[in-house]
Amino acid sequence: MLEIDGVSKRYGSIRALQDMTFSVRPGELFGFVGANGAGKTTTMRIVLGVLDADAGEVRLEGRPIDAARRRRIGYMPEERGLYPKMAVGEQLRYLAELHGCSAAEARAATERWTARLGVAERIGEEVQKLSLGNQQRVQLAAALVHEPDVLVLDEPFSGLDPVAVDVMSGVLRERCDAGAPVVFSSHQLELVERLCDRVGIVRDGAMVAQGRVDELRATNGTDGTGATTVVVHAPAAPPGWADAVPGVTASRTEHDRTVVTLAADVDDQTLLRAALATGPVHEFTHRRPSLTELFRETVGDRADAGAA
Amino acid sequence: MRTVLLITRREFLARVRGRAFIVSTAVILLILVGYSIFIGSIGAGGDSGTTTIAVAPETEAITPALRTAADDQGRIVRVVPVADAAAGRALVAAGDADAALSGSPTRPRVDVETSLGSAAGSVVTVATTFVAQQQLLPDPAAADAAVAAAQPVVVAARPDDPARGLRIGLGAFGAFLLFFSIQTYGAMVAQGVVEEKSSRVVEIVLATVRPWQLLLGKVLGLGAVGLLQLVILSGVGLGVAGTAGLLVAGAGLAGTLVSVLVWYLIGFALYATVYAALGSLVSRQEDTQSVLTPVSIVVLVGFAVGFNLVVSAPQSTALTVMSLIPPWTPLIMPARMALGGVPVWQVVAAFVLTLAFTAGVLALGGRVYARSVLRTGARVSWREALRGR
Repeated sequence: MLEIDGVSKRYGSIRALQDMTFSVRPGELFGFVGANGAGKTTTMRIVLGVLDADAGEVRLEGRPIDAARRRRIGYMPEERGLYPKMAVGEQLRYLAELHGCSAAEARAATERWTARLGVAERIGEEVQKLSLGNQQRVQLAAALVHEPDVLVLDEPFSGLDPVAVDVMSGVLRERCDAGAPVVFSSHQLELVERLCDRVGIVRDGAMVAQGRVDELRATNGTDGTGATTVVVHAPAAPPGWADAVPGVTASRTEHDRTVVTLAADVDDQTLLRAALATGPVHEFTHRRPSLTELFRETVGDRADAGAA
Repeated sequence: MRTVLLITRREFLARVRGRAFIVSTAVILLILVGYSIFIGSIGAGGDSGTTTIAVAPETEAITPALRTAADDQGRIVRVVPVADAAAGRALVAAGDADAALSGSPTRPRVDVETSLGSAAGSVVTVATTFVAQQQLLPDPAAADAAVAAAQPVVVAARPDDPARGLRIGLGAFGAFLLFFSIQTYGAMVAQGVVEEKSSRVVEIVLATVRPWQLLLGKVLGLGAVGLLQLVILSGVGLGVAGTAGLLVAGAGLAGTLVSVLVWYLIGFALYATVYAALGSLVSRQEDTQSVLTPVSIVVLVGFAVGFNLVVSAPQSTALTVMSLIPPWTPLIMPARMALGGVPVWQVVAAFVLTLAFTAGVLALGGRVYARSVLRTGARVSWREALRGR
């Protein structure tokens, strides 16, 4: 289990992380989402020891993480980087050995991963001569070549073509099924929603929501009030028809539909009866917000989120 | 430790396999060979001018023999008759004559300032033999003995170390090699640091190794490349010097080589760390030069001033003082030691001062490097790099 416990970090006067806390269980794929500058990269860098935290602790298997344990992590930084003038194979072997593999293990792993990621025939070429897509594949191989027990990947899907996205997803799932805690950040929320067991949403350096996507949905965002959103299509209804219905806290019009927010524990059938009273009702649905919408609600609208 | 060695190996192989290493070695070799030939030609050229010889009255009989010997050997000898031996010595002291002959024409005393050049020496020696042959001795055996005994006795006013020229050459050569190696490989350390920063690979590497390990591995790796080149150059340099006849036993060659290598190691550790720390402040290769310039100037001044003083005024106070100032010590002290005559306390003081200074630079440079190497974008200011946590 990888635990990030109360980690804080400042850059001068800028507060980058404030009491960041979450954990990733073995065999769990954890998606880390948040706006640019929310603190995802800083968190990952602190996990890897590339940055020092001002406060808080990172634990792996219950013990504070140290240099030896960090070697067991596979890391893909947001800013991709390899030695441009070093051949692919040589580079992967070097990185594997830096992580503690023997020369023979490094060679075998290099062959295995370059084959798996489809860059085996490029093994003798300098990295700078590869196409961007192939450089990305080599970058992933660099994160995996020492057979890590934990994966920490910063934006692993950015810049990948659809085929590579599938390969990457498959590899993440596979490491996860092998019992590794896997955490990755991404702006591709549909992908996160589809792939991840759990999701954490970060804002201003703190974790504002985490859990399974359906859990997050059930709370309809993250304000914790249990309010639900209902979309009603009643073409004959006059504007503001829902405002007087008991339990309605807000309503707005989206295209020709009315989006109504109901307080927790309010019977939605009251609302349906009120809608039917205005005329025909073509649609009456609970909105199950996608991760994108959850994300917007949590992060995008700061004024609302701050008030909640 | 394995980590550091892995990094060292990568740095070493990446450079030694590179074209730059082969090209720079070849270029330096050319300069070296040119330099040796130049020095050699200066040494040979000293004998080609006119030799002025003062001759005292009692030695006057040698004068025709001197002219004959000079003609035979294609030398121009001007003979100046003087009133007595003392007058001859005065001419030599004043620099108006190269040698003053006095005493018996067959075994003349030859007064010179520092040494009798080989050409002039040969002329005088042959002349004494001529004089001995012309003595009409009845007994052939006695005549042979007289000829065999005929020989000038050279007395130098200020006897010269026969290896002095070579010592200066060695000192200058050592200073040049140190300057070149420190400049070249120190700058390579900085370039390597910036390359890792600009390609962002440093973040992957630092996720598994500590900054000091990366820095140490880099300095060791490039230091080893520099050392390899130094050994190649010294070896070839000695070979060239040997064939050019510049080697004289007793010039302390072995000692000089050892001291150049030891000072290289200290000097390289010192400057490579400074260069690495400076390199870590910038993120783009284009900015490297500007951030290195102040230190390059310190190295260049130390080398240029030191080199000139070694050649022109090896005993000067200025050189002594410079050789005791730590950043310059590794550039100048080995040259002074090659010249000889450096008091032991100065060598010890230079060594201790430089080691202490290097230790300080390592601590500070390592700190700057660790703080700056992950900061990309704008140049990191010194204040940020040094500020305590």
